[in-house]
Amino acid sequence: MLENYCSYIIRQPVISAPVFLNLLPILLIWRKRAYNDKMFFILFVYLILKFGVDLVMFDLASQRKNSVLYYNLNIPVRYVLTSWMFYYKLDYNAQRKWLMLSWILFVAFSAWDIIHTNPSMGDLYNHKMVLYSTTLESLLMLFWIMLYFYNTMRALKIPNLLTYPFFWICSGFLLYYSSLLFIAPVLHYASKWDQWMDIGSLDYIPYAFETVSLLLFSIGIAQYTGSSYAK
Amino acid sequence: MQSNEELKLGLLIASIAMLMMAFFVIMFVMYYQKKRFEEEKRISDIEKNYNRMLLDTALNSEETERRRIAQDLHDDIGTMLSLTKLSLNQLSKLVANSGDEKEESIMKKSQSLVEETILHVRRITRDLVPTTLERFGLMEAIEEFIHKLEEDNNLVIAFQSNTEEFPRQGQKLELTLYRIMQELVNNAIKHASCTKIDIVLEIDEEMIGLRVTDNGVGFDPEKIKESNLAGLGLLGIESRLAIVNGTVQYEQPAKGGSSAIARIPVNPASGNKPEPLHPFRRERVNI
Ligand SMILES: Nc1ncnc2c1ncn2[C@@H]1O[C@H](COP(=O)(O)OP(=O)(O)OP(=O)(O)O)[C@@H](O)[C@H]1O
Ligand SMILES: [Mg+2]
Repeated sequence: MLENYCSYIIRQPVISAPVFLNLLPILLIWRKRAYNDKMFFILFVYLILKFGVDLVMFDLASQRKNSVLYYNLNIPVRYVLTSWMFYYKLDYNAQRKWLMLSWILFVAFSAWDIIHTNPSMGDLYNHKMVLYSTTLESLLMLFWIMLYFYNTMRALKIPNLLTYPFFWICSGFLLYYSSLLFIAPVLHYASKWDQWMDIGSLDYIPYAFETVSLLLFSIGIAQYTGSSYAK
Repeated sequence: MQSNEELKLGLLIASIAMLMMAFFVIMFVMYYQKKRFEEEKRISDIEKNYNRMLLDTALNSEETERRRIAQDLHDDIGTMLSLTKLSLNQLSKLVANSGDEKEESIMKKSQSLVEETILHVRRITRDLVPTTLERFGLMEAIEEFIHKLEEDNNLVIAFQSNTEEFPRQGQKLELTLYRIMQELVNNAIKHASCTKIDIVLEIDEEMIGLRVTDNGVGFDPEKIKESNLAGLGLLGIESRLAIVNGTVQYEQPAKGGSSAIARIPVNPASGNKPEPLHPFRRERVNI
């Protein structure tokens, strides 16, 4: 089994790197006890869940099994958790209401998407990646990030963005989802288990930027000091 | 296969464009934020300076107004009184010649009233413009002030300083210290019902400290500020200090009474000669 892992890591270093890099922000949150803050707690849950899913997918991928089902199921959960962080950072109640509404709609939509792309659910071997959900997720997340940036610029409450953790976290998400936005629609075709449509190194872009975003998260968490958030 | 390659290229370009845009957005947010904050800071600095200038002008015009009043009192009323005194003297000779007892006593009374009025006017003009301060400096001015007070009240006022020769300071600074001292002592007399007031003037390389302590009833400056009791006095002290970067601190010594300490950074008098004593002296027109 370990051999499988090792050979997979060597074959696919770009894909394996973010799996293990997940641990960096997780450990940082733990060390700094940042989970006392609600926003960081969600990030913590999100990262742990992501780490778990990544590990399972990594395990399945290294055994050359179809891991797409987990990926599909993870999408709505991932969306709810990431946008939940923004729930604490949006200043206006109306915006929060829209955010919560988007959870319901998105979960419903992605459920429909999974069923729609996989008419025969029992056939795990041929399970396909969802068609629209990832793109929609990216679009929604980009929207919330932009909204947050817009609010920040308008309100002018944060004197130094470079020491403000959520700015880093937000930038991480922004880069990640920007890289995913155009690739996501073709992932569906690229990852069909039997008939690969080779999109070559393009497939790596989201993974590479996942690594970047994880690093940005870590920088952001490193800026966390209990008092700066207590304000 | 051809279209596949094209699709790949298109995707690559789109993704790179998107990423560049994301990067640009992050940079823009940071830049914009920084810019706005700098601007905000500049504006608040300007506002602060402006307020300070307003205060400065207000206090300056108060001083010049005092000067003008003193000048008018001295020149107009003072001269009139002197002339009146002269006339009365002449009249008194006539009255003495007539030898009427009653007329003579009325004459004497008028004369002494005029004398007294002249003294009063002189005292008022001196109070309005601290001439001693401008000519001889802080120590002499404070000593004179104390001396006058001790005459009319049965109070013990002690004055100490940590130097024999108190170096002359800028005119504004000396006046500020003098007015603060005046207000603090006046407060002690007015409110504290004390029997003893200590004034201490200390100077070192950087700071001048003025401490006024009384042994009266004492007060809590925080409460006074909250309860709208503060008159113009304590507020005036603070605004005067704000102009010269000074601070004031009130204490309640354990043995009762109250103590106020004002601290101001030193600002030695510059070489140029002091402003003329009466800058607003009007040209006398002789018709
Ligand atoms: N040395 C002191 N001892 C006791 N109470 C004092 C003393 N100095 C000030 N206070 C209290 O603080 C209050 C505010 O003083 P402040 O000098 O500001 O006003 P004021 O003396 O009443 O009026 P103004 O100075 O404008 O003529 C006074 O009313 C008095 O109650
Ligand atoms: Mg007073």
